[in-house]
Amino acid sequence: MNELWEVLERHLPEFSSGFSVTVRLVAISFVIAMVVGTLVAALRVAPIKWVQRVGGVYVETFRNIPLLVLLFISFAGLRRAGIPVNAWVAGTASLGLYTAAYVAEALRSGVFAVSKGQIEASLSLGLTYRQTLAKIVLPQAFRTVIPHLGSLVIAMIKNSAIIGVSLLAIPDLLKEARIVDSRTFETHEAFFWAAVGYLLLTGMATFGFRYLERRFAIRR
Amino acid sequence: MGYLFDASNWEWLTSGNNLRFLLEGFAVNLQIAALAMVLSLIGGLALALLRLSRLRAVSVPAGIWVDVWRNLPLIFIMLYLFLGLPESWSEAYEDVVPGFFPEALKSGRVLAALLALVLYNSAVLAEIMRAGIQSLERGQREAALALGMTYRQSMRLVILPQGLRRMVPATVSQLITLNKDTTLVSIIAIEELVRRGRILTSFNFFGGVQAPVLQVFIFIGLLFIIVNLLLSRLSRRLEIRERRRTGTTPRRVRGLEDQIAAEGEAA
Repeated sequence: MNELWEVLERHLPEFSSGFSVTVRLVAISFVIAMVVGTLVAALRVAPIKWVQRVGGVYVETFRNIPLLVLLFISFAGLRRAGIPVNAWVAGTASLGLYTAAYVAEALRSGVFAVSKGQIEASLSLGLTYRQTLAKIVLPQAFRTVIPHLGSLVIAMIKNSAIIGVSLLAIPDLLKEARIVDSRTFETHEAFFWAAVGYLLLTGMATFGFRYLERRFAIRR
Repeated sequence: MGYLFDASNWEWLTSGNNLRFLLEGFAVNLQIAALAMVLSLIGGLALALLRLSRLRAVSVPAGIWVDVWRNLPLIFIMLYLFLGLPESWSEAYEDVVPGFFPEALKSGRVLAALLALVLYNSAVLAEIMRAGIQSLERGQREAALALGMTYRQSMRLVILPQGLRRMVPATVSQLITLNKDTTLVSIIAIEELVRRGRILTSFNFFGGVQAPVLQVFIFIGLLFIIVNLLLSRLSRRLEIRERRRTGTTPRRVRGLEDQIAAEGEAA
Protein backbone atom coordinates (compact mmCIF):
# COMPACT_ATOMS: atom_id res chain seq x y z
CA MET A 1 0.00 0.00 0.00
CA ASN A 2 2.78 2.40 0.97
CA GLU A 3 4.49 1.61 -2.26
CA LEU A 4 1.46 2.93 -4.17
CA TRP A 5 1.43 6.32 -2.45
CA GLU A 6 5.17 6.63 -2.83
CA VAL A 7 4.96 6.17 -6.58
CA LEU A 8 2.20 8.78 -6.79
CA GLU A 9 4.19 11.21 -4.72
CA ARG A 10 7.36 10.75 -6.73
CA HIS A 11 5.69 10.93 -10.12
CA LEU A 12 2.88 13.37 -9.49
CA PRO A 13 4.20 15.86 -12.09
CA GLU A 14 4.15 13.18 -14.83
CA PHE A 15 0.68 11.97 -13.94
CA SER A 16 -0.86 15.41 -13.67
CA SER A 17 0.67 16.61 -16.93
CA GLY A 18 -0.57 13.44 -18.65
CA PHE A 19 -4.00 13.98 -17.14
CA SER A 20 -4.21 17.54 -18.43
CA VAL A 21 -3.00 16.49 -21.90
CA THR A 22 -5.78 13.88 -22.02
CA VAL A 23 -8.33 16.48 -20.92
CA ARG A 24 -7.15 18.90 -23.58
CA LEU A 25 -7.20 16.22 -26.29
CA VAL A 26 -10.78 15.34 -25.41
CA ALA A 27 -11.88 18.98 -25.16
CA ILE A 28 -10.50 20.01 -28.56
CA SER A 29 -11.76 16.84 -30.24
CA PHE A 30 -15.18 17.35 -28.69
CA VAL A 31 -15.47 20.81 -30.22
CA ILE A 32 -14.48 19.44 -33.64
CA ALA A 33 -16.90 16.53 -33.25
CA MET A 34 -19.80 18.82 -32.33
CA VAL A 35 -19.20 21.28 -35.18
CA VAL A 36 -18.64 18.66 -37.87
CA GLY A 37 -21.31 16.37 -36.43
CA THR A 38 -23.92 19.13 -36.54
CA LEU A 39 -23.02 19.89 -40.16
CA VAL A 40 -23.24 16.23 -41.14
CA ALA A 41 -26.55 15.84 -39.31
CA ALA A 42 -27.88 18.85 -41.22
CA LEU A 43 -26.81 17.15 -44.46
CA ARG A 44 -28.57 13.97 -43.41
CA VAL A 45 -31.91 15.64 -42.79
CA ALA A 46 -31.70 18.00 -45.78
CA PRO A 47 -34.65 17.87 -48.15
CA ILE A 48 -32.41 16.96 -51.14
CA LYS A 49 -31.65 13.28 -51.79
CA TRP A 50 -28.03 13.55 -52.94
CA VAL A 51 -27.11 15.82 -50.03
CA GLN A 52 -28.53 13.24 -47.64
CA ARG A 53 -26.44 10.63 -49.35
CA VAL A 54 -23.22 12.63 -48.85
CA GLY A 55 -23.98 12.78 -45.12
CA GLY A 56 -24.71 9.05 -45.13
CA VAL A 57 -21.38 8.22 -46.76
CA TYR A 58 -19.56 10.34 -44.18
CA VAL A 59 -21.25 8.53 -41.30
CA GLU A 60 -20.73 5.03 -42.70
CA THR A 61 -17.08 5.75 -43.50
CA PHE A 62 -16.04 7.21 -40.18
CA ARG A 63 -18.10 4.86 -38.08
CA ASN A 64 -16.65 1.73 -39.62
CA ILE A 65 -12.99 2.67 -39.89
CA PRO A 66 -10.77 1.91 -36.88
CA LEU A 67 -9.55 5.07 -35.15
CA LEU A 68 -6.00 3.74 -35.20
CA VAL A 69 -6.09 3.47 -39.00
CA LEU A 70 -7.50 7.00 -39.22
CA LEU A 71 -4.58 8.23 -37.12
CA PHE A 72 -2.06 6.57 -39.42
CA ILE A 73 -3.76 8.08 -42.47
CA SER A 74 -3.86 11.56 -41.02
CA PHE A 75 -0.36 11.63 -39.60
CA ALA A 76 2.12 9.30 -41.29
CA GLY A 77 0.07 9.15 -44.48
CA LEU A 78 -0.31 12.87 -45.01
CA ARG A 79 3.29 13.53 -44.04
CA ARG A 80 4.52 11.06 -46.63
CA ALA A 81 2.25 12.80 -49.13
CA GLY A 82 4.14 16.02 -48.40
CA ILE A 83 1.66 17.70 -46.06
CA PRO A 84 3.45 18.61 -42.82
CA VAL A 85 0.67 17.97 -40.28
CA ASN A 86 1.36 18.55 -36.63
CA ALA A 87 0.75 15.68 -34.19
CA TRP A 88 -1.88 17.58 -32.22
CA VAL A 89 -3.75 18.56 -35.35
CA ALA A 90 -3.72 15.01 -36.69
CA GLY A 91 -4.69 13.51 -33.32
CA THR A 92 -7.56 15.81 -32.43
CA ALA A 93 -8.83 15.97 -36.02
CA SER A 94 -8.90 12.16 -36.21
CA LEU A 95 -10.70 11.71 -32.92
CA GLY A 96 -13.01 14.65 -33.70
CA LEU A 97 -13.94 13.50 -37.21
CA TYR A 98 -14.37 9.92 -36.01
CA THR A 99 -16.73 10.95 -33.20
CA ALA A 100 -18.52 13.43 -35.48
CA ALA A 101 -20.10 10.49 -37.29
CA TYR A 102 -21.66 9.32 -34.02
CA VAL A 103 -22.66 12.87 -33.06
CA ALA A 104 -24.39 13.24 -36.43
CA GLU A 105 -26.33 10.03 -35.84
CA ALA A 106 -27.28 11.14 -32.35
CA LEU A 107 -28.51 14.50 -33.59
CA ARG A 108 -30.40 12.91 -36.44
CA SER A 109 -32.25 10.64 -34.06
CA GLY A 110 -32.93 13.73 -31.94
CA VAL A 111 -34.30 15.57 -34.97
CA PHE A 112 -36.67 12.70 -35.64
CA ALA A 113 -37.82 12.90 -32.04
CA VAL A 114 -39.17 16.40 -32.75
CA SER A 115 -42.72 15.89 -33.90
CA LYS A 116 -43.51 16.51 -37.54
CA GLY A 117 -46.38 18.82 -36.65
CA GLN A 118 -43.99 21.35 -35.17
CA ILE A 119 -41.94 21.47 -38.35
CA GLU A 120 -45.07 21.85 -40.45
CA ALA A 121 -46.38 24.55 -38.12
CA SER A 122 -43.12 26.46 -38.29
CA LEU A 123 -42.95 26.24 -42.09
CA SER A 124 -46.55 27.32 -42.46
CA LEU A 125 -45.85 30.31 -40.21
CA GLY A 126 -43.47 31.46 -42.91
CA LEU A 127 -40.13 30.45 -41.39
CA THR A 128 -37.63 29.23 -43.95
CA TYR A 129 -36.17 25.73 -43.87
CA ARG A 130 -32.99 27.10 -42.31
CA GLN A 131 -34.86 29.08 -39.65
CA THR A 132 -37.00 26.08 -38.78
CA LEU A 133 -33.92 23.95 -38.33
CA ALA A 134 -32.03 26.55 -36.28
CA LYS A 135 -34.85 27.84 -34.10
CA ILE A 136 -37.30 24.99 -33.71
CA VAL A 137 -35.70 21.64 -34.42
CA LEU A 138 -32.07 21.82 -33.32
CA PRO A 139 -32.61 23.34 -29.84
CA GLN A 140 -35.03 20.54 -29.01
CA ALA A 141 -32.89 17.90 -30.69
CA PHE A 142 -29.87 18.93 -28.63
CA ARG A 143 -31.88 18.45 -25.48
CA THR A 144 -33.00 14.95 -26.28
CA VAL A 145 -29.50 13.86 -27.30
CA ILE A 146 -27.79 14.86 -24.06
CA PRO A 147 -27.54 11.25 -22.83
CA HIS A 148 -26.14 10.18 -26.21
CA LEU A 149 -23.55 12.95 -26.07
CA GLY A 150 -22.61 11.78 -22.59
CA SER A 151 -21.89 8.30 -23.93
CA LEU A 152 -19.84 9.82 -26.73
CA VAL A 153 -17.73 11.94 -24.37
CA ILE A 154 -16.96 8.84 -22.31
CA ALA A 155 -16.04 7.00 -25.50
CA MET A 156 -13.80 9.94 -26.48
CA ILE A 157 -11.99 9.86 -23.15
CA LYS A 158 -11.25 6.18 -23.71
CA ASN A 159 -10.41 6.60 -27.39
CA SER A 160 -8.03 9.46 -26.65
CA ALA A 161 -5.62 6.89 -25.21
CA ILE A 162 -5.21 5.51 -28.74
CA ILE A 163 -3.74 8.84 -29.87
CA GLY A 164 -0.98 8.61 -27.28
CA VAL A 165 0.08 5.06 -28.16
CA SER A 166 0.06 5.38 -31.92
CA LEU A 167 3.03 7.03 -33.53
CA LEU A 168 1.92 10.52 -32.57
CA ALA A 169 4.25 11.90 -29.93
CA ILE A 170 1.60 13.21 -27.54
CA PRO A 171 2.30 12.60 -23.83
CA ASP A 172 -1.20 11.80 -22.59
CA LEU A 173 -2.04 9.95 -19.38
CA LEU A 174 -1.38 6.47 -20.74
CA LYS A 175 1.89 7.59 -22.32
CA GLU A 176 3.05 9.11 -19.03
CA ALA A 177 2.21 5.88 -17.22
CA ARG A 178 4.38 4.01 -19.69
CA ILE A 179 7.19 6.50 -19.23
CA VAL A 180 7.05 6.05 -15.45
CA ASP A 181 6.94 2.27 -15.97
CA SER A 182 9.90 2.22 -18.31
CA ARG A 183 11.98 4.32 -15.89
CA THR A 184 11.12 2.55 -12.65
CA PHE A 185 9.66 -0.85 -13.63
CA GLU A 186 6.84 -0.14 -11.20
CA THR A 187 4.30 -1.31 -13.74
CA HIS A 188 1.42 -2.07 -11.39
CA GLU A 189 1.72 1.19 -9.48
CA ALA A 190 2.08 3.35 -12.60
CA PHE A 191 -0.91 1.77 -14.31
CA PHE A 192 -2.95 1.85 -11.12
CA TRP A 193 -2.70 5.63 -10.90
CA ALA A 194 -3.36 6.08 -14.59
CA ALA A 195 -6.47 3.91 -14.16
CA VAL A 196 -7.58 6.13 -11.31
CA GLY A 197 -7.14 9.13 -13.61
CA TYR A 198 -9.21 7.60 -16.40
CA LEU A 199 -11.94 6.43 -14.01
CA LEU A 200 -12.07 9.93 -12.51
CA LEU A 201 -12.58 11.41 -15.96
CA THR A 202 -15.19 8.91 -17.13
CA GLY A 203 -16.93 9.12 -13.75
CA MET A 204 -17.11 12.90 -13.88
CA ALA A 205 -18.46 12.76 -17.42
CA THR A 206 -21.10 10.23 -16.37
CA PHE A 207 -22.36 12.30 -13.46
CA GLY A 208 -22.03 15.60 -15.30
CA PHE A 209 -24.18 14.45 -18.18
CA ARG A 210 -26.71 12.85 -15.83
CA TYR A 211 -27.06 16.22 -14.16
CA LEU A 212 -27.47 18.02 -17.49
CA GLU A 213 -30.03 15.47 -18.55
CA ARG A 214 -32.15 16.09 -15.45
CA ARG A 215 -31.65 19.83 -15.71
CA PHE A 216 -32.82 20.12 -19.32
CA ALA A 217 -35.33 17.31 -19.36
CA ILE A 218 -38.48 18.13 -21.27
CA ARG A 219 -41.69 16.66 -20.07
CA ARG A 220 -43.88 15.55 -22.90
CA MET B 1 -4.02 15.51 -54.59
CA GLY B 2 -1.65 14.50 -57.34
CA TYR B 3 0.07 12.19 -54.91
CA LEU B 4 -3.15 10.54 -53.80
CA PHE B 5 -4.29 9.72 -57.33
CA ASP B 6 -0.87 8.84 -58.70
CA ALA B 7 -1.43 5.41 -60.23
CA SER B 8 2.05 4.12 -59.46
CA ASN B 9 1.41 4.57 -55.75
CA TRP B 10 -1.67 2.38 -55.97
CA GLU B 11 0.06 -0.14 -58.19
CA TRP B 12 2.64 -0.50 -55.45
CA LEU B 13 -0.05 -2.11 -53.30
CA THR B 14 -0.46 -5.01 -55.69
CA SER B 15 3.17 -5.39 -56.66
CA GLY B 16 5.11 -8.39 -55.41
CA ASN B 17 3.60 -10.04 -52.37
CA ASN B 18 2.34 -6.82 -50.81
CA LEU B 19 -1.35 -7.49 -51.21
CA ARG B 20 -1.08 -11.05 -49.95
CA PHE B 21 1.02 -9.90 -47.00
CA LEU B 22 -1.68 -7.44 -45.98
CA LEU B 23 -4.65 -9.76 -46.51
CA GLU B 24 -3.01 -12.47 -44.42
CA GLY B 25 -2.67 -9.89 -41.69
CA PHE B 26 -6.36 -9.09 -41.99
CA ALA B 27 -7.15 -12.77 -41.46
CA VAL B 28 -5.40 -12.53 -38.09
CA ASN B 29 -7.66 -9.59 -37.14
CA LEU B 30 -10.74 -11.55 -38.06
CA GLN B 31 -9.59 -14.62 -36.13
CA ILE B 32 -8.86 -12.61 -33.01
CA ALA B 33 -12.19 -10.81 -33.39
CA ALA B 34 -14.15 -14.05 -33.78
CA LEU B 35 -12.55 -15.65 -30.75
CA ALA B 36 -12.94 -12.53 -28.61
CA MET B 37 -16.58 -12.15 -29.69
CA VAL B 38 -17.53 -15.66 -28.58
CA LEU B 39 -15.74 -15.36 -25.24
CA SER B 40 -17.10 -11.85 -24.57
CA LEU B 41 -20.67 -12.90 -25.26
CA ILE B 42 -20.38 -15.81 -22.82
CA GLY B 43 -18.62 -13.64 -20.22
CA GLY B 44 -21.08 -10.80 -20.74
CA LEU B 45 -24.09 -13.00 -20.10
CA ALA B 46 -22.50 -14.46 -16.98
CA LEU B 47 -21.66 -11.00 -15.64
CA ALA B 48 -25.15 -9.69 -16.42
CA LEU B 49 -26.73 -12.57 -14.48
CA LEU B 50 -24.35 -12.04 -11.55
CA ARG B 51 -25.14 -8.36 -11.53
CA LEU B 52 -28.87 -9.06 -11.45
CA SER B 53 -28.51 -11.55 -8.61
CA ARG B 54 -30.74 -10.98 -5.61
CA LEU B 55 -27.78 -11.59 -3.29
CA ARG B 56 -26.13 -8.25 -2.67
CA ALA B 57 -22.85 -9.97 -1.88
CA VAL B 58 -22.85 -11.11 -5.52
CA SER B 59 -24.50 -8.21 -7.36
CA VAL B 60 -22.45 -5.39 -5.82
CA PRO B 61 -19.00 -6.81 -6.63
CA ALA B 62 -20.22 -7.79 -10.10
CA GLY B 63 -21.44 -4.23 -10.62
CA ILE B 64 -18.12 -2.73 -9.57
CA TRP B 65 -16.24 -5.17 -11.79
CA VAL B 66 -18.36 -4.24 -14.81
CA ASP B 67 -18.16 -0.49 -14.19
CA VAL B 68 -14.38 -0.51 -13.76
CA TRP B 69 -13.57 -2.49 -16.88
CA ARG B 70 -15.98 -0.73 -19.19
CA ASN B 71 -14.81 2.72 -18.11
CA LEU B 72 -11.12 2.13 -18.79
CA PRO B 73 -9.63 2.57 -22.26
CA LEU B 74 -9.23 -0.81 -23.97
CA ILE B 75 -5.72 0.04 -25.11
CA PHE B 76 -4.84 0.86 -21.51
CA ILE B 77 -6.00 -2.59 -20.34
CA MET B 78 -4.14 -4.26 -23.17
CA LEU B 79 -0.86 -2.48 -22.52
CA TYR B 80 -1.13 -3.12 -18.80
CA LEU B 81 -1.66 -6.85 -19.30
CA PHE B 82 1.11 -6.93 -21.89
CA LEU B 83 3.58 -5.30 -19.49
CA GLY B 84 2.19 -6.58 -16.21
CA LEU B 85 1.17 -10.19 -16.73
CA PRO B 86 3.73 -12.61 -15.32
CA GLU B 87 5.86 -14.36 -17.90
CA SER B 88 4.59 -17.70 -16.64
CA TRP B 89 1.05 -16.87 -17.77
CA SER B 90 1.95 -16.41 -21.40
CA GLU B 91 4.10 -19.54 -21.27
CA ALA B 92 1.17 -21.42 -19.80
CA TYR B 93 -0.99 -20.06 -22.62
CA GLU B 94 1.45 -21.32 -25.23
CA ASP B 95 1.30 -24.73 -23.57
CA VAL B 96 -2.46 -25.07 -23.39
CA VAL B 97 -3.45 -23.41 -26.66
CA PRO B 98 -5.33 -26.00 -28.74
CA GLY B 99 -3.59 -27.35 -31.82
CA PHE B 100 -6.38 -26.40 -34.23
CA PHE B 101 -5.89 -22.69 -33.50
CA PRO B 102 -4.45 -20.61 -36.33
CA GLU B 103 -0.69 -20.19 -36.10
CA ALA B 104 -0.90 -16.46 -35.44
CA LEU B 105 -2.91 -16.97 -32.26
CA LYS B 106 -0.44 -19.35 -30.65
CA SER B 107 2.07 -16.78 -29.45
CA GLY B 108 2.05 -15.87 -25.77
CA ARG B 109 1.47 -12.20 -26.58
CA VAL B 110 -1.98 -13.04 -27.87
CA LEU B 111 -3.01 -13.87 -24.30
CA ALA B 112 -2.73 -10.22 -23.22
CA ALA B 113 -4.62 -9.10 -26.32
CA LEU B 114 -7.42 -11.64 -25.92
CA LEU B 115 -7.75 -11.09 -22.18
CA ALA B 116 -7.99 -7.34 -22.66
CA LEU B 117 -10.56 -7.61 -25.45
CA VAL B 118 -12.65 -10.03 -23.41
CA LEU B 119 -12.38 -8.13 -20.09
CA TYR B 120 -13.45 -4.90 -21.74
CA ASN B 121 -16.11 -6.20 -24.08
CA SER B 122 -17.69 -8.64 -21.65
CA ALA B 123 -18.21 -5.73 -19.27
CA VAL B 124 -19.81 -3.60 -21.99
CA LEU B 125 -21.95 -6.50 -23.21
CA ALA B 126 -23.01 -7.31 -19.64
CA GLU B 127 -24.39 -3.79 -19.35
CA ILE B 128 -26.24 -4.20 -22.65
CA MET B 129 -27.73 -7.54 -21.64
CA ARG B 130 -28.69 -6.29 -18.20
CA ALA B 131 -30.54 -3.37 -19.78
CA GLY B 132 -32.37 -5.81 -22.04
CA ILE B 133 -33.36 -8.08 -19.19
CA GLN B 134 -34.48 -5.19 -17.01
CA SER B 135 -36.53 -3.66 -19.80
CA LEU B 136 -38.95 -6.58 -19.61
CA GLU B 137 -42.19 -5.90 -17.80
CA ARG B 138 -42.22 -7.24 -14.26
CA GLY B 139 -45.36 -9.20 -15.01
CA GLN B 140 -43.37 -11.57 -17.21
CA ARG B 141 -41.28 -12.83 -14.35
CA GLU B 142 -44.18 -12.82 -11.93
CA ALA B 143 -46.27 -14.84 -14.36
CA ALA B 144 -43.44 -17.32 -14.85
CA LEU B 145 -42.99 -17.73 -11.11
CA ALA B 146 -46.75 -17.97 -10.58
CA LEU B 147 -46.84 -20.83 -13.09
CA GLY B 148 -44.52 -22.68 -10.76
CA MET B 149 -41.26 -22.19 -12.67
CA THR B 150 -38.07 -22.01 -10.67
CA TYR B 151 -35.81 -18.93 -10.93
CA ARG B 152 -33.61 -20.81 -13.34
CA GLN B 153 -36.48 -21.94 -15.52
CA SER B 154 -38.05 -18.48 -15.66
CA MET B 155 -34.71 -17.02 -16.75
CA ARG B 156 -34.01 -19.63 -19.38
CA LEU B 157 -37.49 -19.97 -20.84
CA VAL B 158 -39.09 -16.56 -20.36
CA ILE B 159 -36.79 -13.68 -19.47
CA LEU B 160 -33.60 -14.30 -21.47
CA PRO B 161 -35.17 -15.16 -24.85
CA GLN B 162 -37.18 -11.94 -24.80
CA GLY B 163 -34.71 -9.66 -23.06
CA LEU B 164 -31.71 -10.66 -25.17
CA ARG B 165 -33.64 -10.45 -28.42
CA ARG B 166 -34.30 -6.77 -27.74
CA MET B 167 -30.60 -6.18 -27.40
CA VAL B 168 -29.50 -7.71 -30.69
CA PRO B 169 -28.92 -4.34 -32.43
CA ALA B 170 -26.93 -2.93 -29.50
CA THR B 171 -24.93 -6.14 -29.24
CA VAL B 172 -24.10 -6.18 -32.92
CA SER B 173 -22.88 -2.59 -32.91
CA GLN B 174 -20.64 -3.40 -29.95
CA LEU B 175 -19.28 -6.40 -31.86
CA ILE B 176 -18.50 -4.09 -34.78
CA THR B 177 -16.62 -1.85 -32.36
CA LEU B 178 -14.77 -4.94 -31.17
CA ASN B 179 -13.86 -5.74 -34.75
CA LYS B 180 -12.34 -2.28 -35.17
CA ASP B 181 -10.57 -2.61 -31.84
CA THR B 182 -8.61 -5.66 -32.99
CA THR B 183 -6.30 -3.16 -34.71
CA LEU B 184 -5.10 -2.14 -31.24
CA VAL B 185 -3.29 -5.46 -30.82
CA SER B 186 -0.73 -4.11 -33.29
CA ILE B 187 0.52 -1.93 -30.43
CA ILE B 188 1.68 -5.01 -28.54
CA ALA B 189 3.53 -6.31 -31.59
CA ILE B 190 1.08 -8.89 -32.87
CA GLU B 191 1.43 -9.08 -36.62
CA GLU B 192 -2.04 -8.21 -37.84
CA LEU B 193 -3.15 -5.89 -40.61
CA VAL B 194 -2.10 -2.52 -39.18
CA ARG B 195 1.23 -3.89 -37.97
CA ARG B 196 1.87 -5.36 -41.39
CA GLY B 197 0.92 -2.07 -42.99
CA ARG B 198 3.56 -0.39 -40.88
CA ILE B 199 6.16 -3.04 -41.63
CA LEU B 200 5.44 -2.77 -45.33
CA THR B 201 5.69 1.01 -45.43
CA SER B 202 8.85 1.17 -43.38
CA PHE B 203 10.76 -0.22 -46.37
CA ASN B 204 11.45 1.75 -49.50
CA PHE B 205 10.93 0.92 -53.14
CA PHE B 206 13.89 -0.24 -55.12
CA GLY B 207 15.74 2.88 -56.10
CA GLY B 208 14.94 4.76 -52.91
CA VAL B 209 11.35 5.70 -53.73
CA GLN B 210 9.35 5.96 -50.51
CA ALA B 211 6.49 3.59 -49.79
CA PRO B 212 3.01 5.11 -50.17
CA VAL B 213 1.87 5.15 -46.53
CA LEU B 214 -1.32 7.04 -47.32
CA GLN B 215 -2.50 4.55 -49.92
CA VAL B 216 -1.68 1.52 -47.78
CA PHE B 217 -3.66 2.81 -44.82
CA ILE B 218 -6.59 3.97 -46.93
CA PHE B 219 -6.69 0.43 -48.31
CA ILE B 220 -6.59 -1.00 -44.77
CA GLY B 221 -9.40 1.33 -43.72
CA LEU B 222 -11.48 0.23 -46.71
CA LEU B 223 -11.11 -3.42 -45.73
CA PHE B 224 -12.55 -2.66 -42.29
CA ILE B 225 -15.33 -0.51 -43.70
CA ILE B 226 -16.40 -3.28 -46.08
CA VAL B 227 -16.40 -6.03 -43.45
CA ASN B 228 -18.21 -3.88 -40.87
CA LEU B 229 -20.83 -2.76 -43.38
CA LEU B 230 -21.45 -6.39 -44.29
CA LEU B 231 -21.79 -7.28 -40.61
CA SER B 232 -24.33 -4.54 -39.92
CA ARG B 233 -26.23 -5.27 -43.12
CA LEU B 234 -26.47 -8.94 -42.18
CA SER B 235 -27.61 -8.23 -38.65
CA ARG B 236 -30.21 -5.73 -39.82
CA ARG B 237 -31.68 -8.31 -42.17
CA LEU B 238 -31.84 -10.94 -39.43
CA GLU B 239 -33.31 -8.39 -37.08
CA ILE B 240 -36.10 -7.30 -39.40
CA ARG B 241 -37.05 -10.92 -39.98
CA GLU B 242 -37.00 -11.64 -36.26
CA ARG B 243 -39.02 -8.57 -35.49
CA ARG B 244 -41.67 -9.54 -37.96
CA ARG B 245 -41.83 -12.98 -36.37
CA THR B 246 -41.75 -12.02 -32.70
CA GLY B 247 -42.70 -8.35 -32.54
CA THR B 248 -39.78 -7.25 -30.35
CA THR B 249 -38.65 -3.66 -30.15
CA PRO B 250 -34.98 -2.83 -29.57
CA ARG B 251 -33.95 -0.87 -26.48
CA ARG B 252 -31.23 1.68 -25.87
CA VAL B 253 -28.37 1.33 -23.43
CA ARG B 254 -26.56 4.05 -21.59
CA GLY B 255 -22.85 4.48 -22.16
CA LEU B 256 -22.51 2.71 -25.47
CA GLU B 257 -20.44 4.41 -28.13
CA ASP B 258 -22.58 3.21 -30.98
CA GLN B 259 -26.00 3.03 -29.41
CA ILE B 260 -27.49 5.35 -31.98
CA ALA B 261 -26.66 2.91 -34.73
CA ALA B 262 -28.45 0.28 -32.74
CA GLU B 263 -31.68 2.15 -32.41
CA GLY B 264 -31.51 4.44 -35.42
CA GLU B 265 -32.82 1.88 -37.87
CA ALA B 266 -35.63 0.91 -35.55
CA ALA B 267 -37.11 4.41 -35.55
